[in-house]
Amino acid sequence: MAETFPINIWINEERFNALKNAGLADLLKEELAGMKVLIVPCTASQRDKILELYPMAKFDAATTKSIELLPKAVKDQIYNLVVEKKSMEVMDEFIKSVAKS
Amino acid sequence: MEMIGHGGKPLVEQVITDKDQARKVIKDLKTMPVSRQMATEAIGIAYGFFSPIEGFMKKADVEATCKKMELADGTVWSIPIVYDISDQEIADYKIQQGDKILLTYDGNPLAIFDIEEIYTYDKEGMAQDVYGTKEEKHPGVKRTYAYKDKFLGGKITLVNEPKIREPFTSYFLTPRQHRELFTKKGWQRIVAHQTRNVPHSGHEWLMKHAYIAAHGDLPVEQQETLEGRAISGVLVNCIVGEKRTGDYIDEAIVLCQDELRKSGYFRNDIHMVTMTFWDMRYAGPREAVHHAIIRTNLGLTHHMFGRDHAGVGTYYHSYQAHHLLMSIPKEKLNITPIYVLEWAYCPHCGEVTCVGLCGHHKELQKFSGTKIRSIIMDEVKPTRLIFRPEVFDVVMECSKKYGFGSPFVTTQYLEQAKPAFSIEPL
Ligand SMILES: [Zn+2]
Repeated sequence: MAETFPINIWINEERFNALKNAGLADLLKEELAGMKVLIVPCTASQRDKILELYPMAKFDAATTKSIELLPKAVKDQIYNLVVEKKSMEVMDEFIKSVAKS
Repeated sequence: MEMIGHGGKPLVEQVITDKDQARKVIKDLKTMPVSRQMATEAIGIAYGFFSPIEGFMKKADVEATCKKMELADGTVWSIPIVYDISDQEIADYKIQQGDKILLTYDGNPLAIFDIEEIYTYDKEGMAQDVYGTKEEKHPGVKRTYAYKDKFLGGKITLVNEPKIREPFTSYFLTPRQHRELFTKKGWQRIVAHQTRNVPHSGHEWLMKHAYIAAHGDLPVEQQETLEGRAISGVLVNCIVGEKRTGDYIDEAIVLCQDELRKSGYFRNDIHMVTMTFWDMRYAGPREAVHHAIIRTNLGLTHHMFGRDHAGVGTYYHSYQAHHLLMSIPKEKLNITPIYVLEWAYCPHCGEVTCVGLCGHHKELQKFSGTKIRSIIMDEVKPTRLIFRPEVFDVVMECSKKYGFGSPFVTTQYLEQAKPAFSIEPL
């Protein structure tokens, strides 16, 4: 499988409970002393499109290989898609919906 | 009592505090407005943050700094402190060698500049020597290339002290005021934590590590009870100056660092936060030496240096700053470096631990700065082992109060936030 570059969506308690109730708690990983995070994978081309759409975002090439500093509103949209689709494979659809609007 | 600064020389203080006298000495002087950059540095020079430098550097000092990392007289010095000017400005303000010029800022008198020398300097050479690269994408190199074509060297005397705005007012101390406070506290050893960050617990542990190392062989029993009085301390000295988008806003840096003390993560009598006006050059190793010089002038005995100190991108190796500091003879730098490794979260140990101590290397979760910023942007309260809840609350408050809704520098912040200091009418 080709390398993927994650968007980390950090989950607060309220969202954690919502995900648990929807049977999606398995999608979460635990990091940094019990913080819950939704790690949404991007392919290289999805990553490049995201960085183009959101110039304030930053690809952390040095340490985490993740896409960081996306505005909260953007991550909220991605989070909502994950919940709606019950899947992490949402980035194509997300990019399409943003490109359209 | 005379205070001794870097290089074993008397601490520089060139400030006229008597307003009547100041008005008298500036009468009839030619005036020239200065940029924020130059005003910041003039203030730093006059208060002695850059002792033994008494003014903007002359060519011999710049040359020695670039080529040998010392001043013309052999004192260790790593970064040129220069005043740049164009031929047009020299003509417009009729500037000649030997002149006394009144520098103004915000339209008000700031400092007297004795023009002792007008010179040129090869900017590419300066960039290569100081930053180890000529690439303009290095922010320090970019600043160097942006210098105008001539430089003015000569003594600076502050005639009008800056007014520091809230919430910074109580955090700005001159080198003299730092030293007086240390004496009052009875601190025999003080270790500097250089920062431009809001602290996560990785930073907190670096400070604790450095504090314990600096305290070393001093007695401990004074601190056994809270009523005791510490004889050593940590000074968190925040760098306030030029910002880049994505940096933490200065208000959040200063107030969050102080929150660690206010919330008891450090005792009141061992921890203190102040700030120094300085535009980061991101010169890595050479900037580490410069930071050591500034903190010597503040009266500190020790200075913590971590991974990639003052670096940017991949220009410097993680511990290149340590190597450069180690190469300087001890008698030439009157501050003792404390070298520290990173601290990280180990799920196996169930705690934040030094990567040089814990044996579960594969399990360690490092505190990536961007990761922590991403958590804050998501407005999710981190676990208290990672980031103190009180500090998180202050970040969020600062975001609303000072950051136009963001704890990070945005274009709006760059355009609309007031500078930390202003110069009022004299
Ligand atoms: Zn461990």
